[in-house]
Amino acid sequence: MKVSFEWLQEYVDVEASPEEVADLLWMSGTEVERVRRLGSGVSGVVVARVDEVKPHPYADNLRLAIADDGTVRRTVVCGAPNLVEGMKSALAVPGARLPEVSDKELKKATIRGVESEGMFLSASELGLSDDHSGILELQGVTRAGLDIHEVLPLEDVVLDLEITPNRPDCMSMVGIAREVAAVTGSKLRMPDCTVNETGPPTGDLVAVMIDDAGGCPRYSGRAVTGVSIGPSPAWMQRRLLASGLRPINNVVDITNYVLMELGQPLHAFDMDLLSGRTIIVRLSRRGELITTLDGVDRQLDDTSLVIADASRPVALAGIIGGEDSEVGEKTRNILIESAHFDPTSIMLTSRRLGVRTEASGRFEKGSDPGGTLAAADRAAGLMGELAGGDIALGAIDVYPKAVIPVTIDLRPSRVNTVLGTEISKSEMLEILERLAARVEDADVPRITAPSFRPDLQREVDLIEEIARVYGYDRIPGSLPGGGGFDAGLTAEQALEERLVDGLVARGLCQVVPYSFMRPGDLDLLRLPEGDRLRRAVTLMNPLAETGEAMRTTLLPGLLRLALGNANRGNVDLAFFEKGRVFIAKGPEELPEEFDAIGILLCGLVEPAGWSAPGRQADFFDLKGAVEEAALTLGVDDIDFLPADRPYLAPGHSAAVLVDGAEAGVIGQLHPGVAEEFGLVFELYVAELRLAPLMEAAAGTSEYRPVGRFPNVKVDIAVVVDESLEARMVAEVIKASGGDLLLSARLFDVYTGPQIPAGKKSLAYALEFGSAGGTLTDAQAHAELDRVIAALKSRFAAAIRGRDDVRGEGN
Amino acid sequence: MDQGARDKLDSLTAERPEMAVLVEDALALVAGCRTVSELEEARVKLLGKKGTVTTVFKGLFMLSADEKPVVGQIGNLLRGLVEERLGEKGRELSEIQGERLLRSRAVDVTLSGRRRTVGHKHLLSEVAEEITSVFISLGYEVVQGPEVELDYYNFEALNQPPYHPARSLQDTLYIRRKDPFREYPDDILLRTHTSPVQIRVMESRKPPLYVISPGKAYRKDEIDATHSAMFHQVEGFAVGPGINMGHLKGTLEVFVRKLFGSSRKVRFTPHFFPFTEPSAEVYVSCYVCDGEGCGLCRGSGWLEILGCGMIDPNVFEHVGYDPEEYTGFAFGVGVERVAMLKHGIDDMRVFFENDMRFLRQF
Repeated sequence: MKVSFEWLQEYVDVEASPEEVADLLWMSGTEVERVRRLGSGVSGVVVARVDEVKPHPYADNLRLAIADDGTVRRTVVCGAPNLVEGMKSALAVPGARLPEVSDKELKKATIRGVESEGMFLSASELGLSDDHSGILELQGVTRAGLDIHEVLPLEDVVLDLEITPNRPDCMSMVGIAREVAAVTGSKLRMPDCTVNETGPPTGDLVAVMIDDAGGCPRYSGRAVTGVSIGPSPAWMQRRLLASGLRPINNVVDITNYVLMELGQPLHAFDMDLLSGRTIIVRLSRRGELITTLDGVDRQLDDTSLVIADASRPVALAGIIGGEDSEVGEKTRNILIESAHFDPTSIMLTSRRLGVRTEASGRFEKGSDPGGTLAAADRAAGLMGELAGGDIALGAIDVYPKAVIPVTIDLRPSRVNTVLGTEISKSEMLEILERLAARVEDADVPRITAPSFRPDLQREVDLIEEIARVYGYDRIPGSLPGGGGFDAGLTAEQALEERLVDGLVARGLCQVVPYSFMRPGDLDLLRLPEGDRLRRAVTLMNPLAETGEAMRTTLLPGLLRLALGNANRGNVDLAFFEKGRVFIAKGPEELPEEFDAIGILLCGLVEPAGWSAPGRQADFFDLKGAVEEAALTLGVDDIDFLPADRPYLAPGHSAAVLVDGAEAGVIGQLHPGVAEEFGLVFELYVAELRLAPLMEAAAGTSEYRPVGRFPNVKVDIAVVVDESLEARMVAEVIKASGGDLLLSARLFDVYTGPQIPAGKKSLAYALEFGSAGGTLTDAQAHAELDRVIAALKSRFAAAIRGRDDVRGEGN
Repeated sequence: MDQGARDKLDSLTAERPEMAVLVEDALALVAGCRTVSELEEARVKLLGKKGTVTTVFKGLFMLSADEKPVVGQIGNLLRGLVEERLGEKGRELSEIQGERLLRSRAVDVTLSGRRRTVGHKHLLSEVAEEITSVFISLGYEVVQGPEVELDYYNFEALNQPPYHPARSLQDTLYIRRKDPFREYPDDILLRTHTSPVQIRVMESRKPPLYVISPGKAYRKDEIDATHSAMFHQVEGFAVGPGINMGHLKGTLEVFVRKLFGSSRKVRFTPHFFPFTEPSAEVYVSCYVCDGEGCGLCRGSGWLEILGCGMIDPNVFEHVGYDPEEYTGFAFGVGVERVAMLKHGIDDMRVFFENDMRFLRQF
C-alpha cells in the first residue's frame, strides 16, 4: 500500500519526518518497504500535447513527435512504444533538471541525425515510480503548458507499506493515520462525511433488496443525480497517482479516492442503465450471462453472488462490475454501492471464476460492516462537490443481518504473564482506546472491538495489540530454564554428525541436491518393474524443472550433480550426501522416509603433483571410504559380498553387510547407465541406509588390554586358486590363529610367472602377541603352523618359501 | 678424563719441560684437525706404531729405575687424554661433515606439501549446525520430522485458516489433494516449513519442551536467485508454565548475537503469522554498514533474520494443552538466508548446483 505523506496529514498531525513515521509504523507492525521522495528536484517539465507523430528518418525504433508545450511547437525524438497522436505527456524542455536521469541540465541533443528539442519522460525518469515501460500518459486532465508540479504529486513522499493479511483496516489512509495516531499519541481526524441532500427522495429513484443475507449482510448506497462527467481536480489526481492509481474521470476517481481513504470498495452504476431501477443482491442462476468490465463474457452457475437489476446480473458482487451498467461520458445519474460481503463467499467465487481485483482482495480479507454508510456518504458528498451532482434524499442502507461486535474480557494479569511485562491496567486500556476499541473498565475490563478489526476476537488478540503499541523493544528479555535432561544431541544424532565428519575427513565433499527425481531416472537405472525403488511418491503439481517424484534413491541426484560438475570442467569428484529417500506405502498413507548415505567418486582421487603421478579412483577407494565411515562409528563388522545390481557394472559391485544385515550396495556404475546419464567416464557409487550403521554403532565399546610386551611378526605368502575370495582366506587365518594372533594384514596380491597359472599369491603380515608376557619364537611358530595347516587343509594352499610353488617362469 | 688425572699429568710434566711440550703438541695436533681424514692421520701420528705416544713407551727401557714409573705414568695419562680428544674431535667433525652433506642436499621448502584431498561439509550443513549448536547450549534437544506431511500437521493444527493462499496448488506441492476448492487435513503434501514438528512433538509429549528441529522444506517456487523449491529451516520452540515473550526476546537476542557477533543490535517488530500471537520479525543491525544503511540492508540498517512469536492458543488446543496452564514461543530460521547473509552469497542456486569449486570454499 502506497501512502502519500501529504495526504496522510489530512487525518493526523505529524511533527516527525517521513522516515521517523516509517520507523514508528515499522515498530508497531506495519512494515515499510521503502520511503520514496517523489520527483524531488524536478524542474523545467511541462505538460505537452502530441500533435503529430512522424517516423524518424534514420532510425526504425525511434519516432518524431511534434509537441505543443503551451507556447511553442517542438520536435521531440522519442523511442517510447506508447507515443500516440493526441496524448498528453510530461515534456522536459532544454534547461530542465531531472535528478533521476542526470545531475546536469538537460540540453538539446541530436539523436541519430535529428535535433530533439526536449524529452518526453517516463514515470521513473520523473522519480514517480519504477515504471519505465513508456512515457507518462496524463489523461483527461490537463492543458498543455501547465507546470508538471501542478498535475503530479512531485515533492510528495510516499511510504510503501506492506500490510499483513490480518489487517485489512490498514489498507486505507484513515487506517494508517489511526496507527500513526495510536503510536504518536496525536488525534485522528475523520474525513467529512456529511451530505447536502438536494435531490429527489432516493426511494423514487431506486430500490435495493438483499436476497442472500449470508453473502451480503449489508448494502448501503447513495443515489446522485445530474452529475457531469469530466476530469477530477488536480489535487485528487495527484493523490491517486501517489497511491499508484491512474485518474480516469471524476466519478470513477471519487470511488477510488474513497476506497483509498476509507478502505471501503465502492461501485458506481449508471442508474439509468439499471433495468427496473432495482438492485437485487442474490445468487446467480445457472446459465446467466454477464460481460464484466475486463471485457470477458462469463456464463454463471448457481453459486455466485451477483448484484442484479430487474432482469440480469449487473455485477459480480464484490469482485467486478458489468459493462452494461458502466459509468461513461454520458452518464448523468449514479448509484453508489457500498456493501459488506462475506469474505469466504467472495473468495470462492473469485477463485472459481479466476478473477481477482482490488475489491475482491479487500473483501476476502474482511471489510468493515460498520463503515459502509459513511463511505457512501463520503463519495456522494464528493460527487456533489466535484461532479455537480444532486444527492438524493435519504441513504440506502439494507442491513438484514447485523454484524454484532465482539466483546472480549481482558485480564490485565494475563497480559503481563504472556508478555513478561509489568504494564499497568490503565496503560493497557489507553492503548486499546487509541485503537478505537470500546472499553468498559472493571477488574476484568470488557473490550468491544471496532467493526473494522475482524482480527480482534480473543483475549490474546488484544494482548498483541497492547504489546505492539506499548513497544516490543520495551519488553525486557531474559532466558528461560532450558530442557534439562532432554537437552543436547541423542547418541544417534551425535553418531550421525560423527559419520559426516568421518566422510569429510576422508576427503569427500558433502552435497545437497534436490530431493526430487524424474520417474524416468528409474528407467535409466534399469530398475525392473516391481523393484522396491520403483515405489515412488509422485507430486500432483510438480515444478517442471525439478522432476515430479520424491526420490527413492540418492543415486540419480548424485549422478546429475556429477554431470553438472563435469559440464563445468570439474571431472575429479569425490562427494557424498546424507539425505532422505521416500518409499511409497498406501495412497492414503505417508510414505516411509529413511536417511541414507550416498557416495560418488570419479576422476583422480589423488591429484598429480611434483612427487606423485596422481591416481584414478577405483573400487577400493570407494570401499575404503565406506569402511572408514563405518570405523568412525566404531563399526568394524562390515562385509562386502559380490552382488549384481542392474545399474552397477557386473563383477564390480558388492552388497554391504553391517553386522550381517544388508545396508546397501557399492560398485562401479554400469557404463551403459553412465552413458544414459550423459556421463562418459568411470564412476563409483555407493548407497547405504543409515539405520543398520546406527544400530551397529550403538553401545559402548569395551576395553581390550593392550600388550606391554614385544609382538612377533611373521610374513607368509599363501598360494591359492585365483578365483578364491581373499575374504575366505582371511577368515580361515583369523579362525585358526587363536587368541595369540592379533592381526593379519594382506600386503600383497600376486599373479604371474613366479607361481603356477590359475593361482594367486596372497601375502599376509601376521602379528602374534600376548598381554601376559613376551611370546617365544616357539610359541609363535606353533600358532603359525596351525594357521598354515588350516589353510592347506581348507584350500589346498601352498606356502611360498616352504612348499614348491614354482611357476612356469622359474 | 677427570680433572684429577689431568692435574696429575700437569704436575708430572711440570719438572719435565720436554714432556710438557710433547703433551701440548699432541693436543694441538688433534685440535687443529679439520676433517675426519686429517684426524685419522693425527691418530696414526700420535698412537700409531711410530707415533709420539708409542715412542714414549718405547723409550722407557733407556730410563733409570726412578724415572721409568714416572714417565710410564705420563705416557698412560697422555694416551688416555689423546684418545679422549680424538673421540671428541671425531664426533665434532663427523657432525659438521653430516651437516655439510645435508646442506648440499637441501630441500626446496617452497615446493607444495604432499597433501591429502581435504573434504568439506556443505555450507548449509555448517550453518544449520551452527544454529542448532547455539540452541543446544541453551538447553534444547533436536527432533526430526517427516518431509512428506499431512495437511493437518503442516496447516490445520498450526491454525492456518482454510482457503489460505499458502494452501493453494500455486504455493504448496501436493502428493494428494481431495478437492480443488477445499483443503482437507488428510491431504498429503511436502511440508512448507519445519513447524509441523512442533505439533508432532507436543501431541506426543508434555511440557516442559525445549526443541530445535532443522530440516528441509518445500514450496512451489520456480527456482531463481532468491527462490528455491527446496530449502532448509531450523524450527525451534519452548513450551512450559510461565514461558513469556520476554523469554522469546532473551533467547533470540542471544542466538542472533552468537550468530552474527556480540556487538550486533537486535530488533523485534510486530508481524503476523497464523500460528503465533503476538508474532514478531527479528532483525539484526547490518554488519556491513553497522546500521547506517547500505545496499545489503536496502538502506534500512537492518537485516531480517527470522520470524517468531508466542504459540497461538488455538495451536495448543489442537494438541490438547490447556493454554491457561502452558505458554510457549516458537521461531523459524531460514538456513539459506543466514548463509547468504553471513557469506555474501547473492544467488541461492549455488547451494543446490553443488559445484565442487563452491563446495571447497567452505
